[in-house]
Amino acid sequence: MEDNRTTPNEDISTLLKKAGEGDRHAFKDIVSLHQQKVFLLAYSILRNREDALDVVQETFMRLYQKLDTYEKDRNFQAWLLQIAKNLSIDYYRKHYSRRRGMETGKSIEELPLAAEDHASNPESSELRHVISRNLERLGERQRLIFVMKHFNGLEYREIAQVLGISVGTVKSLHFKAVRNLKHWLSPQLGMQP
Amino acid sequence: MSERDRENIRRHIETCPACAAEVRDLERLLESADSMGQNMKAALAGIDWDAQAEKIVSAVWNEKVRPQVEPRRERVWLFGPRLKPVLAGLLLGIMVGAAAMFITYRSGVLEKAPAEAFFASNEFLGRIDQEIARREILDYLEKNQYVLLELAQTQTESGDCRLTEAAARETRELLGKKRYLNPQLEKARMSKAKAICDQIELLFYELAQVSENLTPAQCRGIQNMIEEKNILLKIKLLKKELQESEV
Repeated sequence: MEDNRTTPNEDISTLLKKAGEGDRHAFKDIVSLHQQKVFLLAYSILRNREDALDVVQETFMRLYQKLDTYEKDRNFQAWLLQIAKNLSIDYYRKHYSRRRGMETGKSIEELPLAAEDHASNPESSELRHVISRNLERLGERQRLIFVMKHFNGLEYREIAQVLGISVGTVKSLHFKAVRNLKHWLSPQLGMQP
Repeated sequence: MSERDRENIRRHIETCPACAAEVRDLERLLESADSMGQNMKAALAGIDWDAQAEKIVSAVWNEKVRPQVEPRRERVWLFGPRLKPVLAGLLLGIMVGAAAMFITYRSGVLEKAPAEAFFASNEFLGRIDQEIARREILDYLEKNQYVLLELAQTQTESGDCRLTEAAARETRELLGKKRYLNPQLEKARMSKAKAICDQIELLFYELAQVSENLTPAQCRGIQNMIEEKNILLKIKLLKKELQESEV
């Protein structure tokens, strides 16, 4: 079975094909390659580490079930994140509606930021902190787009595919998110209102 | 946006301090957001992703999440062996219920008790008859009074008097009603009322025999009869008497 071992750099279509044929290692490579992006997206919605990890697992289980339906021309990452987004929203509706809000969840800033260097640039660190706090105030779509663009590093086109909306709408919502954040941050950071 | 537009905006920003400050603020914000994303990715190192990936793959493989053909559902037959205890219970219930109903009917518990007979004395029944007759006659007299009053007052300037269609119809109906009232008047021993009602009946016979367009002579004749016999006054007095004699 070791002969079937795949490398992380292997083309995603090949990995998917192998996984579809029952190659466990190929599937693990797919998971390894994309689980963090899925986690960030799930976390941006749920803001709870354990719940986000649950959604990551559920996303890959769902992916495995849907392997046969994957179309080669499709952007795999956008497709995967779309599954993750839908599952996160389902998870949120199922588990969080009873809690009335997400106040129990931690903010992104509260993750164990081992690599964060607060001392290197205090002003930048403060700005990040304020942005993180104010992300909560954005509408769901604006927050998702902002997180996918800046945290997940997705292109507008990919975000549009994940959310199932036009690129123009993504750009417009991103602009609104930035404008809102700037408006809220202005008094705290001495920016122009 | 075209390159030319971009160039124009760039030039404007260079000369406009307000716009330049706005751009600086936005760049700061977006740079911080991007660096936040980078920091987040670095922060994710806090999770053992390899173990996480293994956990996910194990879950997928162990739980066999691959779509499988759903096993065909076993059909539930009404008389299948699995439903035998249910059917037995149902049958037993029906039998016990039928036996209970049989016993109950036999004991006569559900039979209706005969209703008590209603007894009323002859005197009481006579009073009821009299009361019914009194009310019928009162109603009859009232209607007569309206018709006769109309007839007495419908003299026109030219001397013609005309019985309206409604009054003529009412006259015919009242004649019919009188025939129905006769036995009641005799039974209730109302001789005075009967005499007055007979006079009115006679008057109405005459009215019914002539056409709707009475000649002045006929009209005067009937009006004279009403006046001479004081029919309206008699009706009034009789009505009063009947109202006072209410049972």
